[in-house]
Amino acid sequence: MLELQDITKKFMKGTPDETTLFDHFCFSVQKGDFVSVVGSNGSGKTTMLNLICGTYQPDEGKVLFEGKDISRLPEFKRAAFIGRVFQDPKAGTCSDLTILENMALADNKNKPFGLGRGVNKKRMDYYRSLLENCNMGMENRLQTKVGALSGGQRQALALVIANMTELKLLILDEHTAALDPKSSERIMQLTDRLIRESGITALMVTHNLRFAIEYGNRLVMMHQGQVVLDKAGEDKKNASVDDLLTVFNSISIESGN
Amino acid sequence: MAILSTLEVCLEDGFVYAILAMGFYITFSILDFPDLSVEGTVLTGGVTCAVLAEMGVNPYVAMILAFVIGCLAGSVTGLLHVKLGIRPLLSGILVSTGLITVNLVAAVVGNGGSFSGDGALSNVTIARSSPTIFRVFPFTLLPETVAQVNLRKLVSFFVIALIVKLLLDAYLKTKSGLLLFATGDNAQFTTMLAKDPGSSKILGLALGNGLAALSGALIAQSRGNANQGMGLGMIVIGIASVIIGLSVFGKLRFMKPTTMVILGSVIYQACLGVASILGVPSAYNKLIMALLFTAALVLSGRLGRKKQEA
Ligand SMILES: Nc1ncnc2c1ncn2[C@@H]1O[C@H](COP(=O)(O)OP(=O)(O)O)[C@@H](O)[C@H]1O
Ligand SMILES: [Mg+2]
Repeated sequence: MLELQDITKKFMKGTPDETTLFDHFCFSVQKGDFVSVVGSNGSGKTTMLNLICGTYQPDEGKVLFEGKDISRLPEFKRAAFIGRVFQDPKAGTCSDLTILENMALADNKNKPFGLGRGVNKKRMDYYRSLLENCNMGMENRLQTKVGALSGGQRQALALVIANMTELKLLILDEHTAALDPKSSERIMQLTDRLIRESGITALMVTHNLRFAIEYGNRLVMMHQGQVVLDKAGEDKKNASVDDLLTVFNSISIESGN
Repeated sequence: MAILSTLEVCLEDGFVYAILAMGFYITFSILDFPDLSVEGTVLTGGVTCAVLAEMGVNPYVAMILAFVIGCLAGSVTGLLHVKLGIRPLLSGILVSTGLITVNLVAAVVGNGGSFSGDGALSNVTIARSSPTIFRVFPFTLLPETVAQVNLRKLVSFFVIALIVKLLLDAYLKTKSGLLLFATGDNAQFTTMLAKDPGSSKILGLALGNGLAALSGALIAQSRGNANQGMGLGMIVIGIASVIIGLSVFGKLRFMKPTTMVILGSVIYQACLGVASILGVPSAYNKLIMALLFTAALVLSGRLGRKKQEA
């Protein structure tokens, strides 16, 4: 459903510091896949997601989505069918608005934002039921400003919000990395449940090798703008954290780290 | 008696500039956009209203047109920033500079003259016979003065500021209004709602400048003319009122931010009033304004935040 075709992406173009991160990079994701992506810092994981979401434009090559070329579609238009949760819990919600207002805005996604009432009180029970699923005690705090929530709660809310309208692709960029181990675990379980329930296609970057092994049906490792390992199906099921570490280390030695 | 008339002036100016300050509430406080174009749009609003008054147009129609023209000017600031990537401060300076010419031409043409060029000033006088809100229904129902207080002016400014406040409150509760908050808070969030945060910013800047122009239209009617000096210091008055209002009353949960801004504007004018009662010459006004602004900035702890962004 998603295909990165022959992508070239350079940074600092035209300056002495010009670097080529992706050089004719190809990558594709099948409908219904839940892909975990691992790789060292700077290997290009976030940039790949930015290319998919439209934050960055490729210098060469195309991004195809369900067969259509979306390379020139602005980020906000792609957001109509792509949802995203960032590493920073602050990025997926508005701190100055209440949980209710955040959810009401998300509830109206893909519809016009006109002069109708911003918050529809009749939807509150529905919002509460979504929050109950997170099990983080947010269901009784609809009037609380999101800025007052913990990182874990905010990230759970960001996940719920991203999934409130029907999506075709969910992008998660180290979305558990800024959390303590316990919250991180809970957010990961919530993520897995949301993805299973909706059957949505998902692409998850993580530094947690155990999450990458345990969750999803395909595992990709990136290094210096290339896919260096790609396991799916049985292969993926049989992989272990130790296997991954072995590959990681051999790459690091090669590149002299 | 001097105290009473000073109080009257404080309230009058407080209400008029409250409209300007509510514009800054949208741009500065909600969108976090320091909008300098207001320096020009206040006068644009004044000139528009004065010229239309001289043509015999109903003052309410004139004020609505002033608002619309202010909105257009604000959209230009927004477009410069969003579409051309020019920084907020520079976008505002560009628009307010461009408006100097617009105001000048409008004033000269409005005065019935042809544009003679050099040395001309934007100065349109509203004749005593021309329609202003003080000379048409409904405020003519009120006596003009009571106990030497210009009751008609005071009440009409209060009522108009109140109407603006109620409309703004209603707007901010709509989907579009909520999206404005979201954009100011976290533009990425707006993007994820499949909306262009740029459009939301342009809309906010349009509204902010529309209100600035409306405030200018009232000032022109009150003074009986629109002139070059009108825009000076407007940014400081507007932003300081917002900051004073929000930092003094910010803890009161039941109070709407727009109410806080109106009160902030009255407090700001009251400080100037106190200075004048104490006998500080009016030449010192701008310095006092700058000092008040500094105090307000420190008071709200916004200084650090703005510094980081600059
Ligand atoms: N906006 C940018 N400007 C310049 N260089 C960038 C930019 N974004 C990413 N890069 C470079 O691209 C490389 C990959 O970054 P990134 O995709 O964020 O890696 P990862 O997410 O895998 O840690 C890094 O070396 C980084 O310096
Ligand atoms: Mg990254």
